[in-house]
Amino acid sequence: MGGLSASLSIATQSMLAEQGAIETSTNNIANVNTPGYSRQVPNLEEAGTIQIGTLTFGTGVQLGSVTSLRDAVLDLRINQETQQQGQLNAFLNAGQQIQALFNETSGTGLQTPLSAFFNSLSELASNPSDLTTRQNVITSAQDLATAINQTSNNLASLQHNTDLAVQQSVSQVNSLTAQIAQVNQQVVAATKTGENAGPFRDQRQQLINQLSNYIDVSEIDAGDGGLTLTTTAGSALVVGNQSFALSTQANPTTSLQDVYANGADITSQISGGALAGQIQIRDQEIPSLQNSLDTLAYNLSTAVNNQNRAGYDLKGNPGGNLFTPLTQGAGAAASMSVATTDPTLIAASGTAGAGNSGDNSNANALLALQNQNIVNGQTPLSYYSDLVFKIGNDVSSAKTTEQAGSQTLLQLQNLQGGVSGVDINEEAANLIRFQTAYQASAQVATVINTLLQTTINMVN
Amino acid sequence: MSVRINPSLLPDLLASIQQSRQNENAATQELSSGRTVNNPSDNPAATAAVVLNHGQSGQDAQFLQNISTLQGRFQTADSTLSNVVQVLTQALSLGTEGANSTVSDSDRQAIATEVQGLLTQTVGLANTTYQGACLFGGTNVNAQPFTLDSTTGAVTYNGNSKTTSVEISQGNSITANVPGDRLFQNGSGSVLGALQDLYTALTTATNMPAAVTEVQSALSQLGVQRVTYGNALNQINQNESFLNQDKLNLSEQENTLEGADLSAVATNFAQAQLAVQATLSATSRVLSQKTLLDYLA
Repeated sequence: MGGLSASLSIATQSMLAEQGAIETSTNNIANVNTPGYSRQVPNLEEAGTIQIGTLTFGTGVQLGSVTSLRDAVLDLRINQETQQQGQLNAFLNAGQQIQALFNETSGTGLQTPLSAFFNSLSELASNPSDLTTRQNVITSAQDLATAINQTSNNLASLQHNTDLAVQQSVSQVNSLTAQIAQVNQQVVAATKTGENAGPFRDQRQQLINQLSNYIDVSEIDAGDGGLTLTTTAGSALVVGNQSFALSTQANPTTSLQDVYANGADITSQISGGALAGQIQIRDQEIPSLQNSLDTLAYNLSTAVNNQNRAGYDLKGNPGGNLFTPLTQGAGAAASMSVATTDPTLIAASGTAGAGNSGDNSNANALLALQNQNIVNGQTPLSYYSDLVFKIGNDVSSAKTTEQAGSQTLLQLQNLQGGVSGVDINEEAANLIRFQTAYQASAQVATVINTLLQTTINMVN
Repeated sequence: MSVRINPSLLPDLLASIQQSRQNENAATQELSSGRTVNNPSDNPAATAAVVLNHGQSGQDAQFLQNISTLQGRFQTADSTLSNVVQVLTQALSLGTEGANSTVSDSDRQAIATEVQGLLTQTVGLANTTYQGACLFGGTNVNAQPFTLDSTTGAVTYNGNSKTTSVEISQGNSITANVPGDRLFQNGSGSVLGALQDLYTALTTATNMPAAVTEVQSALSQLGVQRVTYGNALNQINQNESFLNQDKLNLSEQENTLEGADLSAVATNFAQAQLAVQATLSATSRVLSQKTLLDYLA
């Protein structure tokens, strides 16, 4: 029945509800800088009514629930974009180191030693009997071999570093999936008991976003608040409260680490995150450049050797190999070397027998290799310039995509902030609102107190 | 009600600071290197073209160096031959003098000895070397092309009749020598043979007019052969100016490919700097902006 004590109870209940609302605002303000936090709103509800005779009275207010504001679709889009950015960043990171090896505009690369070698042959053709000129050919050939060796070795060590990065990424993925499995369980438990699972969801989303930096993730709603995470190709990462760790295993042919999920090799299936970028660099970009260098080293040294063998040295003896003969295929660039240190062995002459030290016809033929299509149908220099174009172009297009992607990501993050971000002004306004309501309820309690006093005094 | 905006402006601000910093960095790099292309990825096609451009201009530089070697060699050869012409002219007047019937036997012997001296001198000239290599031995440059038998006065040619050709610009070659036998023992007028015959004629006092005619035809034949060197010199000089022009063109092309327009870059740099400052100042204002809380007493 209605009465003073009922009013008093409405006032105190209201004070409790407003206090809860104030608490929510305070919590929001406290977490204004917490990454992954989504703002919470107090849901104030009208309490039930009571019927006295023909009159219906309200019984005040109650704090029904506190909910976190999230947009699941935005979360998903952000994760996808993060995966792409993770991949591009990893690719660019290594790609920029690779292209520094071929930075021709600042004079780094193979053009200088390649041209110097042919120029030394040109000088030889103009002065074939001069020992200094001949020595210069040997030196230039050595410089060229060393430069190709070094470029190849640098690529190999970049590949090795990227291989280490793959292993680090895998262990990051494993540590994150383990944490996600744990939080996933907490979300399920909170959802079951009807608590606000928001904070756990925040935490889970934050972890999944971190995971997206490393690998492509696909989310499936398990229905009970839990999520099942797999790679896009379908390898399970997290199911319920269980996480499935990835492992690495050295490839028997390349001795690079392959990535395994539940016993299956998924190296080539990873399509997002840093792992994808690292694998792309390690298994495609670097091997393709190495292959080009090997082709260049093999074809160039073979053509020079063949021509040198077709001529005669300073003494008139048939020429030998100028470069140590290479086997076609992997490792040619790394093992290129000059076969002789004796400048008289360069076969500048085209005539057998002594007395032809001024003959330069074979030197001319050696020089002519410069403009012949001896490397996969191209001249050595134009083949090399294509290689420089390829790496430059790969980095450049990754950069363009990355820049566009980072704009998209920023936009998505702003949209997400629009839904979930804490606004201090808004919270301050709410605080004032809740404070005023709280003060009013307190005032009501005082009034009722006075009324009760009056009633008690009336009895006395 | 409007769409709620992201209350945190920080990501946008950080992104724009990052962006303007990057622009500033790029401008600084362009300014300090003088190039718009500082990495292959800045302009892959231009970088690839620069590879070929550098190759070409390096080749031109080498051709120029070859040309200067050839110039030295041709000049030495030409001045040697001009000395031989002088010797022959001298022999001609000695021969004419010796052919005169009024000359006494002893005087003719003296003239003969003088002619013999001229022969030795000519063999010496024919053995001229340039930077250690004999000029007139064909491709046999490390052995003396001519040896003179001091007793018989016979001259043997040890060289060969080969010529060499040297590339002096892409696809453009030049003959770099005239073999000694063609110069000094040419069938249509042999320099050494004529001198030898003149000497014999003088000592034996026979065939005098014929010997003099022989020296004359040797002289004119040498003149014909010598033109080769003159022409070669002209040709390499022309090529030299072509190569210098080509190098200039290449460096202009390189400049077009990767060179920075310095005044434009300087302006960009100033703008980028201004943008960084503006962004920073905007950031500091936004971050220190008062909130509603500041107005609550």
